[in-house]
This record gives sequence, structure tokens and C-alpha cells, in this order.
Amino acid sequence: MSGAFTRLKWTSEAGPGALFAGSDAPLFGRRQRRPRGPRLPVIAVTGFLGSGKTTLIRALLDKPEGANTAIVVNEYGEVGIDNALLRSSSDVTVLLGNGCLCCNIRTDLQETLRELFADRCRGAVPSFERVVIETSGLTDPGPVLQTFATDRGLGREFYLQALVAVVDAVSGEGNLARMPEARKQVALADRIVVSKSDLADRAATVRLLERIASLSAAPVAIAANGEIAASFLLDEPLATRQGFDIVDPRHTHGLCSFSLFFEEPLSWPSFEQAMAVLTALRGPDLLRVKGFIAVKECRGPVVVHFVQHVSHPPVELEDWPDGDRRSRLVFITRGLPREPVAQLFASVAAVTTAGAADPLVHYP
Amino acid sequence: MADTAIWNFRQLAHHELDGFGGIGEGMSIQIAKDGRRILWLAHESAPKNFTAVDVSDPRAPKIVARADLPQSHMRSNSLETVGDLMAVAYQTKEQGLQPAGFELFDISVPENPRSICFFDCSGPHSRGVHQLWFADGEYVHMSSGAADFTPTHPKDDQFYRIIDVKNPSKPVEVGRWWLPGTQQGDSEAPPVRHPEGADTGFRPHNTNVYPERPDRAYLGYIDGGMVILDISDKARPKMVARWDYHPPYHGFTHTVVPFFDRNLFVVSDECVRTEGADWPKLVWIVDGRTETNPVPIATCPLPPLDHYMRKGARYGAHNLYENLPKPNAWKSDHIVLATYFNGGLRAYDTTNPYQPQEVGYFVPAPPERAPSGAIQINDVFVDERQVVYTVDRHVGGLYTLEMDF
Repeated sequence: MSGAFTRLKWTSEAGPGALFAGSDAPLFGRRQRRPRGPRLPVIAVTGFLGSGKTTLIRALLDKPEGANTAIVVNEYGEVGIDNALLRSSSDVTVLLGNGCLCCNIRTDLQETLRELFADRCRGAVPSFERVVIETSGLTDPGPVLQTFATDRGLGREFYLQALVAVVDAVSGEGNLARMPEARKQVALADRIVVSKSDLADRAATVRLLERIASLSAAPVAIAANGEIAASFLLDEPLATRQGFDIVDPRHTHGLCSFSLFFEEPLSWPSFEQAMAVLTALRGPDLLRVKGFIAVKECRGPVVVHFVQHVSHPPVELEDWPDGDRRSRLVFITRGLPREPVAQLFASVAAVTTAGAADPLVHYP
Repeated sequence: MADTAIWNFRQLAHHELDGFGGIGEGMSIQIAKDGRRILWLAHESAPKNFTAVDVSDPRAPKIVARADLPQSHMRSNSLETVGDLMAVAYQTKEQGLQPAGFELFDISVPENPRSICFFDCSGPHSRGVHQLWFADGEYVHMSSGAADFTPTHPKDDQFYRIIDVKNPSKPVEVGRWWLPGTQQGDSEAPPVRHPEGADTGFRPHNTNVYPERPDRAYLGYIDGGMVILDISDKARPKMVARWDYHPPYHGFTHTVVPFFDRNLFVVSDECVRTEGADWPKLVWIVDGRTETNPVPIATCPLPPLDHYMRKGARYGAHNLYENLPKPNAWKSDHIVLATYFNGGLRAYDTTNPYQPQEVGYFVPAPPERAPSGAIQINDVFVDERQVVYTVDRHVGGLYTLEMDF
């Protein structure tokens, strides 16, 4: 009976290969060197109007590390100025119509990326090995995240490697106080860049950094003249900050962010069932869940990433990124704090193993 | 000049080999007694025989030895090392010339390769050895002519030969096999020739034998397709299977690499005409679950025709990384690394063998003195450190890379 629920939906994509799986078939396909596997990394840069996104991207393209980058620009306005600014710096620049990525342009983004990939395959555009998307200032990054989670076709070729939020030191504090989109950009970001600190007084920058820390545990870098180390934008964010818990409703307006660590390896069925319950009950409030799981049935850590009720296909890595072999999950939620989530995982693990002759579930 | 197109590889170094950067299909790693890692390369054509490159630091390859050929009407093209022993193939431009055969070298001092013996394969209808496989230190498996072999058609002048080199100073032939009908006197009818322009011979190219199946030889048999031989009795090889897909395809089956653990074969064609005249030259994924009936199930996506066809010189498949059964060679039953001449080096993930997925490419900018104006990536080797070595057929020399997929 146990097999009935353990042949997991995530393995079904490897189905046709099952005839030729070999004696050492990993649960989630070929073990990868890194979470993105061979897929093209996508770096989405968010930030309010005038926060310095274009300057940041231009500075990246001018560095050797920024070579081979395709740029997708999403502008809100009649004339594509940013597109014109970036076109001189990259061989491949696509302007994504007028409007905001989070609403009417979302399918355009999907089509644009697909077209870019096809054009690259047939040699119609110069070779590139990453995509940077400059979103319009008003964009809620949630739907961008969802696009990559739900569009499996896109997810086969592209991997949303990092959401980068640009916050300017002059007007960032005000935007964060007034604009829910700005708060969400910061709360959901993998990396945060503070720009224009040279134009703001030091006290304002310090206040802004405190404000950011009250919304997000993501690494923050302060740009000098619109520039930061290319690796801050381009490297895959692997490390998770040690335990944190951001729940203060006065500052976060209901956004919660916390991390869970598990000392012992989890069985995949137990982890999946816990996530199934969580997504069934609070799916819309799970803005982002990501991390590494030490899965009993796997040799390497398994990278998981959920956006609301949707999961990216899990990826098993060849090895752990650092010495810490504990499972670690980062949750960014709307109103759902750490405690009930931690309790849910504990209960599911207990039910999975209690009284079972063989706590490891059998696989067919 | 066009830029390098690179995806999921990281280039570590490029060495044009001091003006002699035309490399054939022989690439082999030796760990010298002093610990240096020496990459031995066979040249595509005269005047050079082979070049030894110290790749201990793959970011700074250094030439340590180089040998000239004794004649300009010959080429080495293929070589392999086992320990301090190296076998080098010699093929002449025309039949009946000399020296045709293979030479064994003692390479214990890489700077000073010392000839041990020359195994003569010359004959009135022989050009000698085009390619050899030498992995166990005991037998050389090769595609060669012989003095006593008269083909029914001059293009079928090479066949499969097994040479015992356990005594390296006195190699002896222990077995041979040819496609029935290709030697005069065979009771079988000669094979039907391929059409003009695609008639490249019924003869073997690569002749691979692996410890997982020491009783099997996997042959790319050029116009004869893929051939599996039972060599449990080396004196009497027997055909187990043949997959012949030409015509309609244009012949020149080049390499057969078994993915033993997964019951798959990866089979490459060689493109031998320029500007897409023999398109499509492919890398095939073949279902090997029933050994006697290999079934093609997919091909690896080709570099785009429109883009590469007119770039100059050859465009299409050629060599595969062959999972060499040696300690200093990388092994993968999932990743295919294939060379495509002007399409560069390509990597494919075969986790779903029905849909091989391209996961990386490296198409270097054409070398400055490229006669065709195009790069012609010819062969690829991967060591156990997962450093990738790839070479240009004409002038570009050696490129070292890391895989990043």
C-alpha cells in the first residue's frame, strides 16, 4: 500500500526514461551540480521607478562577468527609454511592450522567453547564457515567481535564479511605508541592492537598512555609483542565513518570513505530505518557500521551491553547498507564522514513522 | 571575427600548439612517474606525428614533446596510452605505401618517447591503420588493412584486427573480422555501394572494447552502420548485431559508445563533406535492451543548420567522448559529449533517452589562420578531474574547459 502514495508526482516527468534508468537511478533525475542544473539562469531585477535598476544592469553588462547576457526590459510608459539605454550594452535586448509584468504582460514574458530560447537554438540571436529581466517599477514580483513555477515548458529551459530588489536610499523608506508592491519586492527578494546612498544622508540609509531587515533576511549590498560586485547579482544564492523570524506586523503589514532547520534527514513522503497539507490549507499565503532538504532516500540534498500551491520539480544536487547537512527551509508568507508550520512538520513526521515496521517507505 | 559561443562550459585555456594546431582523433592521458599529467595528441596530418602537452594545470598547458612523421604521405590521426606504453596509428595517403601500421613507444620519459617496435600492416591494397583502441595494455583493436587482404572494392581496404601486444616488442595478430562480401573470395555478395559522393567504404572506424563486456567489440562500420561482434574467441569474432541505416542516411558510422548500465548505445556519424552537403550527420541514441536488435529511439539536436551550414568547412557530427576504461578518464552513463566540426563541442543529457536535451556548447571563435575561416572541432576527451579537452582539426590546437551543467 505504501507504494500507492510514494510514487511521487515529481518523478513522473522522468517516466519515459524509466526503461533506461540504470541501477543507480536517482529519485529526481540526474544529480545536478547546482539548483539550476543546466538551465539558463534568469535574474529578475525589481525596484520602484527611478530606483536605479537600469544603471545597475548597465554596470553589470560593462563588466566581463556580464558578457553573454540577454536583457528583457519591461517598461511602463509610452517610450522605451531604458531599452534604448541597455541596447548599446548587450547583443540581445528585448523590449517587452508597454505595461506591467505582473498583470497584462505576464504571458508576454512567457512568450518572449520562449522566443528567445528558440531564436538562440536556431542561431537567430547571438549566443547568451543568462537572462536579466528589468521589471517595470510597479511590478508585484509574485506573479513573476508564479510564471516560472507554473509554466513547465519555460521551467525546462529557464531557472529563476534570483529576484533582486533595488531600493534607493532617497525615496526607498517612503515607498516601503506607502506602497505594498515595494514591501513585497523586498520581502520576496533573494538579494537586495541599496542604491543612491551617496545622495542620501547617512542616518536615512541606516534607517532604510533597518527597515529592510524588518522585512527580509536576504543579503543586502550597498551600491557605489550604481555598481556592485557582479557575483552579488549573478551567483546562485545557496546559503541560508541562520535561523530568523520576521513577524512584526507593525512593519511587515502581515508579511512573515522565517526559516526552519531539521536536524535529522526527512523521508520524502513525509516532507511531501507536510507540504501537501500546507498548500491545501494555506496555499495562497505561501508567497515563497525554498530550501535544501536532506532526504533519506537521496544521496545529495534536494532543492525545493514552492510558490503558493505550486512546486518547482525538485532537483537533487551532487553535494551539499557547505558543511551544514541540515535541511533548511525559508518561508515567506502572508500572515502564517513559524510555530504552526513547525508543528505540522513534526506531526507529519511522527505519523509517518510511528509504529511502522520499516520507517523508510518502500518504492515500487 | 565571430565571437566564441559558450554555454555551461568554462574555458580554462587555449594553446595553438605553436603553429601545429591541427589535431586528429587521438587524445590520451598519461600520469608520468613524476606525477605530471601528460596529454598525448595525434596530429591530423603531416608533418607532425604527435605532441605531448603537460596539462597538470589545465589553465596553463605546456608542450613537453613533439615528434615528426618520417614521410609526408602519411598521418598518425589516432593514438592511445596505457601506463607508459603508447600505440600510434600510421595510415598512408594511398594503398601500397609505407610505413603503414602502428608503432609502440615507451613514454616513461615523456620528453623522450622511445620506439619499441613497429607493427607493419602495409600491403598492395593497404593504407595501414586509421584508428586504434588500446585500453587494457594487452590488445590493440584497430581498423587496418593487411598485406594478405584484397578487398572486393578498393574503398573497403580496412577491417577489424586484434593484435596481442602483451610482449610489446613482438606484437602478433590474434583475430580479424570483415563485413562478409568485402574480401575477394568471400562467398557472400559484396555490399551494395552507396550513391556517388556518399560511397565512403564498408570498413570500421572506431573499434571499442570495454571491461564491462570483454566479449564484445562495438564497431562504427562507416557505410556498414553499427556492428556488434562477439569476441569471446578472439580468433573467430562473430557478428551479433548490425544496425544499418543507410541509405536513406549518408553513411559513415563513426563511433559506438555503450551506456552499459542503461542498455543504451550512443552512435555518431562523421560529416565528411563541406557546407552541409551530407547533412544530416547525427548522434543517435539506440535502445540496446535486445542486443541482437538495436533500435534507434532519438537523435541529439543538431546545431542549427541555417546558422552553421555556410560557416565554412564541415558541419555535422564526428567524435564522441568514449568513456575510456582507464583510471584517468571520466565516466558518465548520462552525458554525451560530441564534436560537430564548425558546430563546436556539444553536451547532451540523456536522462530521458527519447528526448536528449542539449545542456551546453562550446564553439570557439575561428582561429586566425583557419584555412576555411571556420573552427573545426574534431575530438574530445575528459579526465577524471572532469577537465574537458577538445581540439581543432586544422590550426586551433587545444582548448581546455570545465563542465558547468
